[in-house]
Amino acid sequence: MSKGPIDRIVFGDNQFFGINHMSQDKAQERAERFAKLDNIMAVYDHAIEAGVEGIMLNSNDRAKGICDRFRADKAKYGHLKWYPSIPYPHKYAAMVNDKGMVGAAQEMLFAKGAKSALGKMVSGGMAVATLDAVKLMKMLVDQEMEIYHDLDLKVVFLQNIIVDLMLGYDVAEPFVAYCQHIRKKYGAYPGLITQNLPFLRRKLIEWGIEDVVICASINKIGYLMSPGVAEYEAVLAENDGSKYPVMAMSTLASGAVPPVEAYDYINKLNVQSVVFGASSPGNIQQTVSLIEGAPA
Amino acid sequence: MTSPLRLGIIGAGRMGITHYSIANAHDHAAITGVADPSKLVTTMLGKYAKVGTYKDYKGLLKGEELDGVLVCTPPAFNPDILDAVLEAKLHAFVEKPFMLNSADGDRFAKGFDAAGLVNQVGYVNRWNDMFTKAKTFVDEGLIGEPLRFRSEMFSGTIIRDVGEAGWRSTHANGGGAIYEMASHAIDLIGYFFGAPDRVGGTSLSKVYSKQVEDIVSSSLFYDNGPRGGLAGTLYVNWSDASYRKPTNKFEIFGKGGKIQVDQHGMKVFLAEANEAHDLKQGWNQIYITDVFSSVPFYVRGIEYTAQLFDFIASIREGKPVRCTFADATANLRVMEQLFADDAARVAGDAA
Repeated sequence: MSKGPIDRIVFGDNQFFGINHMSQDKAQERAERFAKLDNIMAVYDHAIEAGVEGIMLNSNDRAKGICDRFRADKAKYGHLKWYPSIPYPHKYAAMVNDKGMVGAAQEMLFAKGAKSALGKMVSGGMAVATLDAVKLMKMLVDQEMEIYHDLDLKVVFLQNIIVDLMLGYDVAEPFVAYCQHIRKKYGAYPGLITQNLPFLRRKLIEWGIEDVVICASINKIGYLMSPGVAEYEAVLAENDGSKYPVMAMSTLASGAVPPVEAYDYINKLNVQSVVFGASSPGNIQQTVSLIEGAPA
Repeated sequence: MTSPLRLGIIGAGRMGITHYSIANAHDHAAITGVADPSKLVTTMLGKYAKVGTYKDYKGLLKGEELDGVLVCTPPAFNPDILDAVLEAKLHAFVEKPFMLNSADGDRFAKGFDAAGLVNQVGYVNRWNDMFTKAKTFVDEGLIGEPLRFRSEMFSGTIIRDVGEAGWRSTHANGGGAIYEMASHAIDLIGYFFGAPDRVGGTSLSKVYSKQVEDIVSSSLFYDNGPRGGLAGTLYVNWSDASYRKPTNKFEIFGKGGKIQVDQHGMKVFLAEANEAHDLKQGWNQIYITDVFSSVPFYVRGIEYTAQLFDFIASIREGKPVRCTFADATANLRVMEQLFADDAARVAGDAA
């Protein structure tokens, strides 16, 4: 990869759009506050002020508006590196609810109209048996990636709901194809988000796929870490961070681990990067200062 | 048993493809065949996952040597499918609500038990760490004898006019908020207390659907047995857009306190402190991060893996089944009572 190492600190989007299971009231308060794009941008400005240079943003229905703001001010935001994650799982889940699996597939494929590249590919008498799933996947990726045009892409992550689902099928092709496509078309690192880091890494090695960023929940209590903390620690200790850079997410385990304790743990591990979310200037500043190797 | 279990998937929709991934990741199990009417789905699976693919269960059962099946079809198809599965003497995991009436449910519960076949239904909340913890509290008498409960479930599943298409739109296919959603809320009641004796004051309402209910409310009563005197309410609404994900809420009141629990957290109010559980007098908050269990492989949630790995353990090691065909049949009886009670109310109104 020509673009050098990934950022030590990446600013996520969970504080804007994540589901707060802990408190209905807090969730509502947050939804109201971040319904306004200006309020979202103000939080980003705090993060950038604190030294953050990497942004992870899921391709949800707010992402385009946010990216437009970043594109509009090159002087202020042009130096930022982008870490998009695709797809927006909720969009597809809602489609399946409404139309069933087949209906949802059709809606996805024809979203840009029957005359679009996707539309042409699946219509016009193409036999299902000869349908090229890899080509189809690339087109779906490209459709999601339109949101991020003209931004400086560092890593393009595939969401864990897709990665972990595919992992169970034990088939190399979709992983190989995704990684190749991201490298070739976007000049970025392919990234895979997972709740099964040891399993995924073992499979990537088996399949000969290298130079992939693995993003996984890493926290001292083992929350969302399958099969468990001990296995994660063992795998991280032997991991070659130049072949499989690791980005830690859920470092606070939904608030179960206090920040000082959480980053004390992370800093001791062979982890190349941390993605975190926070919305108050104080919390953002504190987190940045707690992560070792962060820009001063 | 040393060779891996050979499992087949019948119905590769959203649940089918999830269960495929989870079961296939088990060290001692593998998916070897899939039946689904969609040519797109079977072509992809045959080409990339290299499993045997069939357009229906008949082909699968004929073409594959299997130990068990995961049945993830709309419930209207399930009687025919399970007749064939029983005849082939295969263990069966069936997605909820399992059947559309208790007579069919009863027949298969007895048939599979008599044949010594593991039978399980996918009421996944029985594997959720919060609900299992709450049940332990209740069973251990933390809040004393349960007197009242509320079982609620909300989602934004049907939040616009959906027309008449799709299997969801009629009861005959297993559509409607009772079969699809209230079944979960009813199962939680059954999981905690067993089946109620009767229901009353049932009201089923449409919001967007044309032929099926979108809102369910009712009261449930226990007249006899160890739970005699217990009563509670059921409120299920799948047209509530304020919920982004389906959410179960369960509340139990007893003389010694109160438990409010959902998939992600629990509040416990106690009249007196409980040292054994490290709970204080008054309010206690328990988060999922306090009680979560680990699973070897995670796809959609800990409970989805836990229930399927339990199914596999039941086949391989004789582990007791947490949600049997008989348990799901008891839920179907409650659903029938709800339909009948609402119909009686409507008939009474008309008279």
